[in-house]
Amino acid sequence: MVVVVIALGLSVVQGVRYVLGRRWPFGSYIGIMWAFFVAFATAELWSFRAGNWVFGFISFLALREYFSMVEIRLQDRPAILAAYASIPFMFHFVTVGWYGMFIISIPVYSFLAIPLLITLGGREKEGTVFSIGAIDFGLFLFVYCMGHISYLMSYSTWMAVMLILNVAVCDIVSRLLQEQGKPGWAALALSYFLPLPVTILFAVVLSPWTTIPWRHSAALGAMIPLLALMGRRTGSYVEADLGVAEETVGPGRGQILDNLKSLLLVAPIVFHYIRYFLDLP
Amino acid sequence: MKAGRLVTMSQAFIHVAVLRPLVRLFCGVHVTGAAHLQRLQRFIIIANHNSHLDVFLLFSLLSVRDIALTHPVADETYFERFPIVFALVRFLFQPVWIRRGHPDRKDDPLHGLKDLLDRGHNLVVFPEGTRGRPGELQTFKSGLGRLVSEYPGVPIVPVFLSGPERVLPKSSAIPLPFWSHVLVGPPQVCAGSPRDITQHLQDALHELAKSGVKRLRPRQRRLQSYQPAPAVAILGIDGSGKSTVSRRMAERLSMGGGACLVSDRLEFYENGEPKPLQPLVLDAARGLVSRYAKRARSLAHYKIPKLTELLLRDRMLAEVNRWYAPRIIVQDGSPLLNMAAWATLYGREDLSEDRLATAVGILAGQRHGIARSDPIFEELPELRHLDQLGLTHLVLPRRLVLLDLPATAACARIATRGEALQPHETEEKLKRLRDAYLKVVRIIDQHWRVPVLVLDATQPLDGLIVEAVRFLNVVLEEPSKT
Repeated sequence: MVVVVIALGLSVVQGVRYVLGRRWPFGSYIGIMWAFFVAFATAELWSFRAGNWVFGFISFLALREYFSMVEIRLQDRPAILAAYASIPFMFHFVTVGWYGMFIISIPVYSFLAIPLLITLGGREKEGTVFSIGAIDFGLFLFVYCMGHISYLMSYSTWMAVMLILNVAVCDIVSRLLQEQGKPGWAALALSYFLPLPVTILFAVVLSPWTTIPWRHSAALGAMIPLLALMGRRTGSYVEADLGVAEETVGPGRGQILDNLKSLLLVAPIVFHYIRYFLDLP
Repeated sequence: MKAGRLVTMSQAFIHVAVLRPLVRLFCGVHVTGAAHLQRLQRFIIIANHNSHLDVFLLFSLLSVRDIALTHPVADETYFERFPIVFALVRFLFQPVWIRRGHPDRKDDPLHGLKDLLDRGHNLVVFPEGTRGRPGELQTFKSGLGRLVSEYPGVPIVPVFLSGPERVLPKSSAIPLPFWSHVLVGPPQVCAGSPRDITQHLQDALHELAKSGVKRLRPRQRRLQSYQPAPAVAILGIDGSGKSTVSRRMAERLSMGGGACLVSDRLEFYENGEPKPLQPLVLDAARGLVSRYAKRARSLAHYKIPKLTELLLRDRMLAEVNRWYAPRIIVQDGSPLLNMAAWATLYGREDLSEDRLATAVGILAGQRHGIARSDPIFEELPELRHLDQLGLTHLVLPRRLVLLDLPATAACARIATRGEALQPHETEEKLKRLRDAYLKVVRIIDQHWRVPVLVLDATQPLDGLIVEAVRFLNVVLEEPSKT
């Protein structure tokens, strides 16, 4: 029932986008919302396992787009192969609920393997540090952070829905503020305080479904806009360095990164907050 | 006939059901200008060749009907070496084989191609011949021109592929997923000599490549060497109009590059227009301290906040360089020289010019050969504290303008503002401050070789500004000192 309502809602938004055409201010944001919706709906209606693998696929698409934009050398290819290969491992650990391995597989094993593989790929030494950094960052953002949303979904789909919904609110507000085009303290403060009541409201109203006590829900609602703000800041710097500007953003050119950047900090921190305070496995 | 039809159908099925999804997975194809390929009866596609995947990408552009009717031109001698690949390629793409490096053969090497064009089929040609270095276009082979000159009615579609050279580079065996971008150009119809046609088509593909490269190529890493912008300062006692002058200066100096005004407020100008930029935390802090200093009742209360404000204002130069990257910074007052001038205001008028020059040197971070026990630290205890705290790296401006105004005139101007008077805004103190500024400026000129322009501030403003701009503009032409 809820799934149908959300699907209808998204369809309406999609329709509005179609009607507005170029005047639509949110770019391809609706696309990523559809992707998350498919993941959640699959998890709710069919099985968590399948929904989890949808997340894995989103993660793959995002990583592929990111690697297409960074400058890589021929000898980084083994490391990039390893980066792609860690997606199935990561999401397998989520499926079986092996928390310990899920949390260390990328920061320990992948991050150790990648520099080694770069050295095994060829004898060029110049650019090693840059390559390690570029590959590790992509892996961290698009696989590790996405994995946290998926792991959150293994506790309860509604927790993940609450997270995505609140981040979406923050993103929409920030994009509208961006349209106004005013830098300054006021815009910064507004992009925190404008979504704040909405995020707290959503978090508290959804608390019977998320099973997070309302106090913690309110705290999460207050945290999310701030974390999303920090994530957007980081993401926008990454985008600028990769040469993604508003006029060139498109398929394979920062579209997914642009829409996921707010989640960079939100996903892991909210996940660990919930896991710690609710004492979850 | 029936068997042929079965082959065609299975071929199309494999393309649509197997190859295209795989191509999408590995190359995430993003096509621009696909409409150029539609509604063409017969065509020749020319594309740059960097990877074995090029042909898969090009075939994913075709309509289902065209799959069986399109033939890539391939080198038989290359594929002969791998029998399985040879059979597979022949089944999937039905290529026209040509033999490279056998020019002495009797029959026309383009015979096969002409035969297919006569039957209304399409061709895919990689006119560079072999796979080239990634991202570079090589010169076209002449065979293309000869072929096209005999078929002037067949449209040639140039296609630029960017990305497959990353998915499967020439020296690599394992494909990795990356996005590919396909640019389809407008169909070309050519006539003329074979040489002209080859050149024309090469230019067309080059043009297409150029339009896409900037947008599609992953950005190369490049670091700019950090070069702080030159700072110039406008000095003067309160009421001499230095705020107004420095603002107008920033406007005038911002032609052809950003100029930043470090004043009570931080402003940025570009081509004479103020441009809003992100706020700086340090500026907010400086504003707070400044407001606190202005509320001070006596000079004794004024000293510490004012000193802090000056230090923060000096740090602003580094912040401004880092965040705004202006071409020139106009300072409303120079923290370094203000400190030196104010030192005399706090009752040390007996300080000799040499001693003051030493103090300025210490503040500017050039304490060569001056011991901690030097008497200058006894005379100016604040200087010792600053030195101990490591706060003596203040910026010496590149050029200075002093707006000189008699204290009586200054007092009259301050009175017309109607604001509450600050503790030092009395005629007697302003007179001492003015003398101090003149002294400091003289020292700077003689000991530190900083060009100084002293202007009579009783003149009308416009004349002052014209003269000051002429004086300060030189900084922009000077080679930057490191």
